[in-house]
Parts: sequence; C-alpha cells; structure tokens
Amino acid sequence: MSDHTPAPSTHFVSSAPFDPYLVEADNDKSGSHASQLRLTWWRFRRHKLALVSAILLLAAYLAITVIEFLAPYNVHTRNVDNIYAPPQQVHLFHEGAFVGPFVYGRTMTLDMKTLRRNYADDTGDVQKLRFFCRGDSYRFWGMAEGNVHLVCPAEDGEFFLLGTDRLGRDVLSRILYGARISLTIGLLGVMTSFVLGIVIGGLAGYWGGWFDMVVQRVTEVLQSIPSIPLWLAMAAIMPADWSPLVVYLGITFILGLLDWTGLARAVRSKLLALREEDYVLAAQMMGAKSPRIIGRHLVPGFMSHLIASATLTIPGMILGETTLSFLGLGIRPPITSWGVLLTEARTINVVALYPWLLFPVIPVIVIILAFNFMGDGLRDAADPYN
Amino acid sequence: MMKRRTLLSLMASAAAFPRPLFAASFDNEPEPLRERVAAGQLPAMRDRLPSEPRIVALDEPGLSAGQPGGRLRILVGSQRDIRYIPIFSYSRLIGFDRHFQFQPDILRAYEVERERVFTFHLRPGHRWSDGSPFTAEDFRYVWEDMFHNKKLHKGGIPTMLRVDGKEPRFEVLDAVTVRYSWDDPNPDFLAELASPVATRLMQPSAYMKQFHPKYQTPEKLAELIKQQNVEDWVALHQKMSRSARPENPDLPTLDPWVNTTAPPSGYFVFKRNPYFHRVDQNGVQLPYIDEVTLSVGSGDLISAKTASGESDLQVTNLDFSDYTFLKNAEERGTIEVKLWKRTQGSRVALIPNLNCTDLVWRNVFRDVRVRRALSLAINRDEVNKAVFFGLGQPSANCPLPESPLFRQRYRDAWAGFDPDRANALLDEAGLTRPAPRAERLLPDGRPCSLIIETTADSGFETDVLELVTDYFWKVGIRVFTHVSHRELFRRRLLNGDTVMTLWWGLDNGIPAADMSPRELAPTTNDQNQWPLWGLHELSGGGEGRPPELEEAQALLDLFHRWRRAETFGEREAIWHEMLELFTQQVFTIGLLNSVLQPVVKNRKLRNLPENGLYGFEPTSYLGVYMPDTFWFEKGA
Amino acid sequence: MLRYILWRIAVMIPTLIMISMLVFTIIELPPGDFFESYVEELRAIGEKADTQEIEDLKARYGFDKPAPLRYFDWVANFVQGDFGYSFEYRMPVADVVGDRVWLTVLVSTVTIIVTWLIAFPIGIYSATHKYSWGDYGLTLVGLIGIAVPNFILALVMMYFANIWFGTSIGHLMDPSFINEPMSWAKLKSILEHLWIPVIIIGTAGTAGMVRRVRANLLDEMHKQYVTTARAKGLHPFRTLIKYPFRMSLNFFISDIGSILPSIISGAEITAVVLSLETTGPMLIRALQNQDMYLAGSFLMFLAILTVIGVLVSDIALAILDPRIRLQGGRTK
Repeated sequence: MSDHTPAPSTHFVSSAPFDPYLVEADNDKSGSHASQLRLTWWRFRRHKLALVSAILLLAAYLAITVIEFLAPYNVHTRNVDNIYAPPQQVHLFHEGAFVGPFVYGRTMTLDMKTLRRNYADDTGDVQKLRFFCRGDSYRFWGMAEGNVHLVCPAEDGEFFLLGTDRLGRDVLSRILYGARISLTIGLLGVMTSFVLGIVIGGLAGYWGGWFDMVVQRVTEVLQSIPSIPLWLAMAAIMPADWSPLVVYLGITFILGLLDWTGLARAVRSKLLALREEDYVLAAQMMGAKSPRIIGRHLVPGFMSHLIASATLTIPGMILGETTLSFLGLGIRPPITSWGVLLTEARTINVVALYPWLLFPVIPVIVIILAFNFMGDGLRDAADPYN
Repeated sequence: MMKRRTLLSLMASAAAFPRPLFAASFDNEPEPLRERVAAGQLPAMRDRLPSEPRIVALDEPGLSAGQPGGRLRILVGSQRDIRYIPIFSYSRLIGFDRHFQFQPDILRAYEVERERVFTFHLRPGHRWSDGSPFTAEDFRYVWEDMFHNKKLHKGGIPTMLRVDGKEPRFEVLDAVTVRYSWDDPNPDFLAELASPVATRLMQPSAYMKQFHPKYQTPEKLAELIKQQNVEDWVALHQKMSRSARPENPDLPTLDPWVNTTAPPSGYFVFKRNPYFHRVDQNGVQLPYIDEVTLSVGSGDLISAKTASGESDLQVTNLDFSDYTFLKNAEERGTIEVKLWKRTQGSRVALIPNLNCTDLVWRNVFRDVRVRRALSLAINRDEVNKAVFFGLGQPSANCPLPESPLFRQRYRDAWAGFDPDRANALLDEAGLTRPAPRAERLLPDGRPCSLIIETTADSGFETDVLELVTDYFWKVGIRVFTHVSHRELFRRRLLNGDTVMTLWWGLDNGIPAADMSPRELAPTTNDQNQWPLWGLHELSGGGEGRPPELEEAQALLDLFHRWRRAETFGEREAIWHEMLELFTQQVFTIGLLNSVLQPVVKNRKLRNLPENGLYGFEPTSYLGVYMPDTFWFEKGA
Repeated sequence: MLRYILWRIAVMIPTLIMISMLVFTIIELPPGDFFESYVEELRAIGEKADTQEIEDLKARYGFDKPAPLRYFDWVANFVQGDFGYSFEYRMPVADVVGDRVWLTVLVSTVTIIVTWLIAFPIGIYSATHKYSWGDYGLTLVGLIGIAVPNFILALVMMYFANIWFGTSIGHLMDPSFINEPMSWAKLKSILEHLWIPVIIIGTAGTAGMVRRVRANLLDEMHKQYVTTARAKGLHPFRTLIKYPFRMSLNFFISDIGSILPSIISGAEITAVVLSLETTGPMLIRALQNQDMYLAGSFLMFLAILTVIGVLVSDIALAILDPRIRLQGGRTK
C-alpha cells in the first residue's frame, strides 16, 4: 500500500458547503446559460432598425383596438359640402400669437366651367382643435356606443388633415379604420398558411415515402399555376349573400390557402436533413411517437427561422389584399381596408386632380417595410450559424 | 313571286335610269379614291351614287358643308366594340332625324297604309360597297333563303316581324320596290327599323350566295367551311354575314365606312364606302372623313388618353366624373369637351322586385303606399349635389323634357323629399315601429332589413347607395348592399332571390308617341320589377306568370291597345294613360335624370352638335347626328 | 444522371394531369358561363343579345354535355394542338394569343435582365458591406419597390411620363404600329414605351433578388476556402468573383424555374393598368368573361411551361453542380 494522501495544497480551499447551481443560476449574463429565446432576443436587440420596426408594429396593432377613439371622424361620416377637399394645414401661430393647434375654416366655390370645387382658406376663421372631446358617435367594435375622440374639429368646424374623398369622407379616419382590416388580414392569413405549412410540410419531411411524393406534386401544382386566376376563381365562387365579415374571413382563408407551399417546402427540407440526427434517433428509441418527435424535438429547432419566414410573408398578404381589391374581388365597401381605399383612388382623375386620395399608400409602405426589417432581424437573430 | 328572269331584266333596266346632273368634276373625288378612278378601277362619283341619292342639307345653324379628307381616331375598350361603328353610322332603311321624325334613309320613299301595308322604294342605281347592285333581290334573299330556311332560323322569322304571331306577306313589286303586309296593325315596324341595332331585312345577296347550299356547289362550300374553321354551312353563313359586328372585311355594306382589318387586332381601320348613298347639298358624296380608326385598349385608360389628345371623337368610356380632368386638358389645345345630356329616364333607379320569393317582402312591395313612401324618403337634391355636382334633374323615372310626352306631373310624381309623409305611409301600411326611432318590423315580426343588390361597376352607384342607406334609415329601414357579377345578378333576379335592385330607369327617356311603350308594361324578363310577368308576355304565355297586380295588368292591356292603335292621336293618348299609371304607381323609384355626359372632339372637327342627347335608344349614340357629315377643318 | 432525368420526366406526367384538372375546375367553378356573361354585358349597355345565335353556339360547343365529358374533350383536343375556340373573339384560341406571346417574352426578358443587372451589384455591395448605411439604404429602396402596389405605381408613372416626356399613355407602342410589320420606327416606339413596365415590374423583383444574392453570397463567403484564399494573399475582389460568385450562380439556374410563370403571364396587373399587348390582360379578361377555352388553354399552357422550366433548371443544376448529382436531389 503506498502512501497517496495528497500533499497539502498551496492555495486556499474553503470548507464551507458548496452548491454549484446556486452560484451560477442567478447572475449569469455571459450568455452561456441563456435559453434559446433569450439569445434570440439579445441578438435581435442589436439590430436597431429591426427593433424600431418591431416597436412600430406593436404600436400599430395596439392602436387597432382603439381606432374609433383615434380617428377624428366616424368611418361613414360624410359631408357633401366638403367633397374632394384638399388636406388642411395645422397651424400654431395666428397673426404672431400662439393659439394652439388650429386650422383655418374654408370657403368652397364651384367653378362652373371646369366643374371643380375650389377651397380657399379663410384666414379670419380660426378653428381650434379639441382634444379628448366628444365628436361623431361610433359603435366601439360594433358593440358599445361611444363618442369620445382623441382629437376633433372645432364645434361646427372641419378638420381634414389628409383631405376628403368624393363623398366628403375624411381620408385620415378611413385610413385608420382601414388599418384594422388590412393589418389583421395579414396576420390571420399567415396563421392559416403557417399551420398548414408546418403540418403538411412536417409530415412530408418526417415520413418521406409516398406521402412526401404526393405533397411534392401538390406543391408543384400549386406553384405552377399563376396566383391571379386562382384568386379570381375562388373569389368568384363566394356566394353573394355572405355578410361582409364572412367574406373577409373567406379572403384571409384564400390568401393563406395559396401561400402555404413555400413554408411547407422549407419545413420539409429542414426536417429531411434533421431527421437523421442522433437526438431524433434517441427519441425514437425511447418510444416517442411521430407527432411528439416532430412537435417537441424537431420543429422547435428551427421555429425561429420559420417565424422569420412567416413574418416576411405578411407583406405579401397585405399586397395580395390590395390586388384582390383591384380585381374587384376582395373586401368591398362598406367595409374599408387600404386595398379598398387604393382601388377607389386608382383613376387618372385622382392622380391628376386629387392626389391626396393616394395617401393610403404610405401606411402600406411603412407597414410592409416594418415587417420586412423585423423579419430580417428575426431571421438573422435566430440563425444559430451566424 | 316573280320569275328570276323577269327580276333580272328589271334590274338591268334599273341600272339604266338617268342620273341627275351634279357639278361632279374629277377634283371632287376624295383623295384616297382618285388613283383608282383614274385607273378605271372605280367609276366616277357621279356613277357611284344612286340616281337619287339622299341629299343631306347642312344648312341648319351650327352646321356647314365641308370638305372630304382626314382620319378620325376613336378609342374603345375591347375588340367587341367595333359594333359601335354600324351604330354610329346609322345607315338604315328608315331612320330618325335629329328631331326624331321618321326619315327615309336607304329607302328613297315609303308608304304606309293603315299601319298594315308597308311599301318600300329603293334608290335606283344604289350599290353595295363592293359595287354589286342593291336591289329587291337582296330583300328576297333574306326573306326566302334566310328567314324561311329552317337551318338558319330554327325559330322561324324574327319576332319583330310577327303581329299576333302571324307572318306578313312579302312581295317584290319590281326591282326597286318591296312590300310587307300584315292583317293587323304593326305600329312598331318603322321604329324597329330605325332602332340602333335593327333587324336586317336585306343582305348583299351576290356576296352571300356563295355561302348558301342552294347557290353553291357542295365541294366549294366544304372548302370554304374548312377555310373559315367552322363546323357547317350554317355557322359559315352566320359568320360571314354578321354585320352588327363588322368583322368580315369582305362583307359588302351600306354603311359610310367599311372595315378593312380582320380580327384579332388591336387597331381597326375603317375606310370610306365609295358607293355610299348620301350627298351634301353641293353634291359632294358623303362621308367627308376618309378613315375611321378604332384603337383597342383598357377602358380605364381611355379618359387619360383622350385628355392627351389621342382621340378625335370620344363618347364611350367617358363618365361625368372625368369631366374636370378633360376640361383641364382642353388648355393643351387639341381637344374640346362638350356636355351632352343622357337620355335615360333615370340615371339610377331603385327597383323593388314584385316577383321575389320572399313572400313577406313581396306583399310589402305590392302595397303602393310602401313604394311611394320609399320614393318620398330620398333626398334627391342631396344626391344630385353630392354625385352629379347639382347638374342633374331630380325626377321620378319618366321621360325627359325633350320628349313630346313629358309632363311636369310625371316628373314630380312622389319625387319630393318628405320623410314625415314617408313615415306616415309606412305606418299606414303596417310596418310598425317598436320604438320611436327604431327599425321597423315586417308583418311577420322580422326586422325591416332591406338588401339592395347591384352590379356596381362604377363608383357613383355605391355612392348613391350610401346616401340611400342613410335616407332609408331615417324612415326605419335598414339597408344592406350586395354587389354581384352580372350573370349572378340576373340569375338571382330571375329566381326571385333579389328583393330590391339598383339599376337604371327607362332606356329610352325621350320617347315619342310612335315609339313602343313596352318599357312601361311587363313585356320582357329583362325588367327588374316584374321579370316573371314579363317572361309570361315574352314567351306568349308559356312561361312565367300573368300579372298579379291589377295596375300591372292594366299597363299590359294598354300596351296591347297601343299595338292595335291606328292613329297617332290614339297612340299618344295611350302613352299618357300608361305614364300616368306608371309614375303614380311608382313601380320603379327613379332618382334623377338629365345627367350630363362628356363628349370630346378634336378641336378641328365640325358638325358635331354643341348640345346633343346621348343614349342608345333612340339616338343610336351619335347616329342621328350623322357622323358621316363630320369634317376636319384644315388649318383651324 | 440519366436515371435522374428520366425519373423527373416520368414524375412530371401526374403533375400535369393534376394541373389540368385543377385548371378545368377553376374555369368551371364560377357560376354561369360565357354566354350569360355575354348577354349580360350587352344588356348592361342597353342592347339586346341575339338569343337564337347564342342557343346555337351553346349547343354547338357541347355546353349541354356534362362536365367530365367536356373535360375529356378539352384535354384530348389540347394534346392534339387544338386549343379550342374563344367566344369573345369568335376565333380559335391560337389566333387570339398569337402576337401577344412574343411581346410578353420581350417585356419579361428585358425586365429580368434589367433586374439582374441592378440586383447583382447591389447584392454584392450589400453582402460585403453588411449592416452599413449603404446596405440599409439600398435595401430600403428595393423594399419600397415591393411595398408600393404595382397598379398605383403604374398609374402614377404613366401619368407623369405623359406630362413630362409626352409618352403616349399605356401600350407597348404607338397604336398606329400595332398591325404594321416590324420596322425601325416601330422598334423605337416599343423601346420608348418599354421602360415604364420594366421599371414597375422590375422593382417588385429586384428587392427579392438582392436579398437572395446577398444571402447566397454571405453563405459562401464564410466558408473555409475563402478564408484560406484571403490568407494566402488573393486580392479581395478576385476572391469574391472567382469562387463564391460562381457558387451562387447556381441559384440563378434554380431561379429560372420559379421565374418562368411570370415570364409568360407578364405581371398581369401592371399589364392591365397600362393596357399592354401582352398575355396578362387577355388572360384576366378571359377569366372574368368565363371565355372557357381561352382561359383554360392558356392557363394550361402556362402551367406546362412552368413545369418544364423547373425540370430544365433542375437538370441544368444537376449538370452544373456535382454535389446535387451525387446526393441525388435538391437539397433546398
């Protein structure tokens, strides 16, 4: 027997009881123990543009809930004395003195030669804007009556920040109300295609074999046919007596139905690669069934990538809605969406004489850009190989 | 029926009739024809005209005789629209002049005996556009070889030629005279011949005979069938003879311009017809304009293109809302914009369906108080102001002041704005209101939710509906709008699924007593207010149902009486009875008429009226204003 | 290799059959048929249709036969080259489509070339200067191209081109040239009108292509062999062009497959707004009017082209990239 007691060490060793988990868990900011989600979030935060976009979108979606309050007028309010009125400028100073936000009243004259309505500012008529005021009545989400607005025109006055359309309806209010429809269509449509894409693509990728073959053929078929005829056909068969709400849901469903193929292919190819991994083998050996393997082990691995892809298809949905409106198939009046507003504006008269009716293009662009930047940021952040 | 040989000899002698002397010198020949005349390929103008051409006197104020020459460019929205040219050209056996009097056009003269016997005299020496003679043979060909050929006309002769189901007798009296005789009066006949798309009683037989098995060898016929890619000689004959859409460049015509471009094409060129039968008061052969071109493009772009000067004469595909834009473009110096008046009895009308399957609504609408109330609930002045710039005329669905049948009381019939009275009438009719400003209830307890259907292609219909929704809400009726495609719309209408539709009013808003009052009575299944009653009449009693409202039956009876009326006075009296009944019963709720239509022309184009009436019937769009008399002033 | 090709071709057949059934259903689905559309259109402008003629046409073209029979008739004819009869134009489909196809090819080819010319440099710049202001700025411009709905852009551009440059509104050439044979003047007119549709359709595709070029290039640039080359002293530019660039070329080939549908249908919406003489507007009209043979045959034609295009690009890819050949299929 040899004498192998360790020599006394030259450094201090504490003899107090030691629990490794206690020490490490709380204040580790180095990233070595953070969850996937946390990692993604930190990386996402670094892309300033993506962050800004995300905040903007969040604000937009929150605003949708209180549109009735934010819009100066009710979406249906019309004013036949103010048809095709150009945008009004908000002033702060009247004749040198600070008055607060106000607009000048306007007088309208009819030019009988060109049949045009001309509006001129009446600098004597100061109309102060009111805030948190009572204005047009509305039904909040179609249910509760209310009439409090964030900003209203002066009593007996007008406030058309972005002008009016051919029935004298305030463009700003219509854009705000339209946001509710346009933004949610994108979301619902993407959810539809998301679910379809993951389920079908997942099963195809995991099982392979004949199911995969069939799915591949089906996706090929759907991708070979130009989208517009498919839309035309599907929209044409929607019965005429469906209520506008059901039509709206039908449209989102159609848009989602025709979009799942891209996602399905991505899921399928990822799964084809990943199913050979060891951890999958291990799970199979432990007796896990297919849905569990797919749902619990495989998919979360690239979920963030999927979400990023999905985010990038929302703009396509919003644009799809405008295209459908253009073809006369999408949302129709009296429901307002940006597509409806743009379709009403797509005549040469508008471009030449009433260009403020093209303002709905701006929120479309901003939202689409926001989704794109956010999606890019998400994808870069979620990509573990960067 | 005379023997062919006799007919031929008469034709030959017709060709020898003397021609009146005009100051026709060589220089009068329009430029495109000069070469051919010089080379002897074409006879001189004097010989191309019939011996008695139609002299169009251009001496009314605003008109002037002009010079030949120039190309007229027109824009259309689809290839199908080449059908406008025969409508614009308005070359008919008998036509309307701009004062809506009958005027023999292709015919030299005509006689009518007791509304039963119509004798037509052709112009001797009149030729088709390819030079072949236009004679009674062309009428006989149609009568015997087309109308009475079981294969070409399965259902027999066209309905407009039947009176009480009976055919007329057709006689050829000589080479230039034919006669149609009925046993009972046919007051519609002349108006039918003068309509925008008239039944053709004549065809260029010399050309068409090559497609008919009676005159053509089977081998040659088979060859032609193959060449034209059709199935049999019937399709061949129909395809080659189609003149409503002048797609066959070889088909001879009596119109002022002949199509020279075979479809498909995006650009059609119509060249002058050297044998056209009209001349101006100086003996210059019409048309003045050498060429009319149709450029096919998207309908939405037409107003933009017109504004940038790409069209010399544009009436179609322009709407009132384009006016400001076009007027601004006038400053660029190439075009001039006029405003004509549309001839519809009402530009938009709300039409309840008295044949709908929803029995409750059906009975509600059959109560005249309800119809009157709805009409009184509408603020026509506001609609006018909002949608038509205040330039329309609020009115019930009735003739315009330009019609001799206009009466102020028709226009005002239940067309004022009186929501109080409307509410009172609705209360009387039994549509109760549970609370002072609540929605009314139908007799069976359901809420009064009215679905108005439309095909709303253009924005202003949706605008009108928005306004109407508000007005009806104030009298307790909630409106929902449904937009459908046209076929679906019509099918729903015929099935009775639609309760109320938004359509337009009377097609012909400037009728005269001699024109048929068929729009006022249930006569076709086209009418949105009573499609089934109309079908009953149209099918001769086989389909649909007879009118179930005594007022509608009264209108139908009056219509039948008009068809048997023998004097102008009788016809006028019947018209007034019908109009009184029609407007008082408010079978259609008219909103406003006399709406304006922009008409754009090249600044140098002359003889287009400053103020005209625009509509399909009876003006045939530009037809009665005679586009063949339009001319370009050089250097203007 | 040969096995791969034969396999892909064999698999194409069921795809095409499924497509034909889908196309037929699409055409048949909306209620009504061409004749009802035709009657309605006439009625809408106040004219009366010749119902006799219509009944005859209906019987003649077998519209009284049940759907499956009509389907087989159509497919049988199609395969033999008889594309059917267009009711709107009243002539065989082949005659109607005629000229439009080559104009569509012209527009689309020019658009794609222009898009490539623009997207490539931008993509390369973006990849090499990742996250710089230039990168963001260019991406922004490209995205705006996607974000603005095409029909608005077309309308606005068309209007201003007319006001500022006097370009005639819409179309691919001055109307008087439409039936004329090709000449220098006609060509000049076409070029004058071509740039608007190219810009509009191109902007929609540019951003996507930029992003793909960028992504592909980035993938390649981080590979080991690039680092090695740089370490060994190869000039950065050459490093870029010689290796990664060629690798990312193969994405072009695979892209062709997906671009083919847009080549022929020619960005339908823009074409409709600008009234171009391409096949897009014709297809949309045919669908709206339910001109069955025209719409159906043309859709079928488009689908076949796409499937063939994908096949060709797959084969080309396999030839080009040995990895795919060896691994036996697309990996993405």
